[in-house]
Amino acid sequence: MTKPVNLREIALGMMMEITEEEAYSHVVLRETLEKYQYLEKRDRAFLTRVVEGTLEHMIQIDYIIEQFSNVPVYNMKPLIRNLLRLSVYQLKYMDSVPDSAVCNEAVKLAQKKGFYNLKGFVNGVLRNTARRLSQVRYPDQEQEPLHYLSVKYSFPIWMLNKWAAQFGYEATEKMCRDSHMTRGTTVRCNLAKASKEEIVRDLMSQGITVKQHPYLDYALEISDYNYIGAVSAFRKGWIQVQDVSSMLVAEIAAVNWGDYCIDVCAAPGGKSLHIADKLMGSGYVEARDISERKVQLMQENIERTGAINIRAMRMDATVPDENSRGKADIVLADVPCSGLGVIRKKQDIKYKMSEKQQQDIIRLQRQILYNVQDYVRPGGTLIYSTCTIGADENQYNLKWFLENFPFRLETIDPYICDELKSRTTAGGYIQLLPGVNQSDGFFIARLRRTG
Amino acid sequence: MALRNIRIYGDEILKKKCRPVQMMTPRTKLLIRDMLDTMYDANGVGLAAPQVGILKRIVVIDVSEAEDDSGSEGAAENTAENMDTAANADKKESGAPANQGGPYVLINPEILETAGEQTGQEGCLSLPGQAGNVTRPEYVKVKALDENMNEIIVEGRGLLARAICHECDHLEGIMYVEKVEGDLFDVTDEAEEE
Repeated sequence: MTKPVNLREIALGMMMEITEEEAYSHVVLRETLEKYQYLEKRDRAFLTRVVEGTLEHMIQIDYIIEQFSNVPVYNMKPLIRNLLRLSVYQLKYMDSVPDSAVCNEAVKLAQKKGFYNLKGFVNGVLRNTARRLSQVRYPDQEQEPLHYLSVKYSFPIWMLNKWAAQFGYEATEKMCRDSHMTRGTTVRCNLAKASKEEIVRDLMSQGITVKQHPYLDYALEISDYNYIGAVSAFRKGWIQVQDVSSMLVAEIAAVNWGDYCIDVCAAPGGKSLHIADKLMGSGYVEARDISERKVQLMQENIERTGAINIRAMRMDATVPDENSRGKADIVLADVPCSGLGVIRKKQDIKYKMSEKQQQDIIRLQRQILYNVQDYVRPGGTLIYSTCTIGADENQYNLKWFLENFPFRLETIDPYICDELKSRTTAGGYIQLLPGVNQSDGFFIARLRRTG
Repeated sequence: MALRNIRIYGDEILKKKCRPVQMMTPRTKLLIRDMLDTMYDANGVGLAAPQVGILKRIVVIDVSEAEDDSGSEGAAENTAENMDTAANADKKESGAPANQGGPYVLINPEILETAGEQTGQEGCLSLPGQAGNVTRPEYVKVKALDENMNEIIVEGRGLLARAICHECDHLEGIMYVEKVEGDLFDVTDEAEEE
């Protein structure tokens, strides 16, 4: 008989790829689950839960491990470190798994992976953790407010420092807490295909819970469904999965009948489709992106929704496109960013991003802005957006841009609901904060070409 | 170490009933050693003599590394004792696994008792790259002779119970594919990747 599949070994392999080899967690999970398609639903759910959960709480888990280990986590062998992390997550967050099973399996796995001499260490750390987990003392909020947040919500200190300075402690805590909340999926009604009432009725007939989103009339929050591909309204192209923050982009772009719009970093295509929808079949949207795979994905989305005034094409935004010079009525620059506004959806972002990496990203963002501002016709509109939080990639880029190019900011108040209006929206931009606003973290600025 | 060729599904020999072992001979001793080597080499947890082309009622089993939580209460105690020092762990380890996960050599095995039920994935070294869901008893009690022809009783739960049933079936010329619920599926061999 052959050896049965060892779920914990698979989980460990995923953690190694994600934490030691810089792979993206959602990609690793998707590929692994594809490879082990034959596993039962229960086993697949275990794998997803244990890997996502461990990443979500990793700083806290490391803190706990260090209460019971003389060796600091960063000094451990990578395999042992990740094995302990997965195990401590199960001890703390998965009541369905008996403590003894967690410890035994970890010891066996350590041995199997060639760390026979570390069996005792793994066993000792885990058994002590299991026994004394409730006695662990965490940093005190009064005395070390940022360290407290860092361990409680597993956020790196440098990030918290920046946020606390820019948004205050209270908003920072809200953002941290929000990253651990599960929320429904926000979808946009494709009103060209069906009325909102029809869509809501269709969703509810499948037993899906539907909630109206406060920011936009055609935004709905849906929950209690298994798999979006099986939702009939989705298959009919009536709804598009998209965060409300990203829907605001098309609102703020304020398209006119017949506009030519270039979305320079379009994948997965939500904003482009939204604009095509708003153009009511007129004008033209070019949804560009750098990777062939993403362009194909967008093409599928376009076909499903049946829009005719939009095309997905492969084009690298960092390479200037002479043919587009001065042509576009609207350019969307939803640039690659550090993604700190969507940590709730991609937990590993908070560990992978560093200040240094952020500097590289800012350079890329400016290079893209430098190229694509040229595509806007005189009097045309440029929308700059990111799904991140903080001045470095948002306000500071904006300031740099205005100093170097013939554009001015334009108020966005006419396009947003009262709840979102503020001094900055009157000035031309908005920073949405997750947990403070009812959306992902997001930044949008509206700029008009003056010359 | 000598490896023998593992017969693949479709080979007529896998459909034949095996004969009991009457006495231990040097040849049979060698066969048992080779069966263990072959099983470990193929990253398996069990192997029956017909799988290497010998129609004798002999199976070898070792689930010590692969065993799941369910069947390892004994192992839990074992590790509980040696939690404090690594040196201690080493000492205990040398004696401990022999009676837990294996290796077991079962000659002329006879299942005395079964209880409960488990449904799960099962694969066979004679059908590489495939697996299927099979329902087996959760608990099995088996009587057999060990390699010195002494009578032993082995009780197994979980994976060990599954392996005992799977290997004993081979001695009757039965492959697990006859018992699969639903379809066989392709599996990736982890060992190959490492």
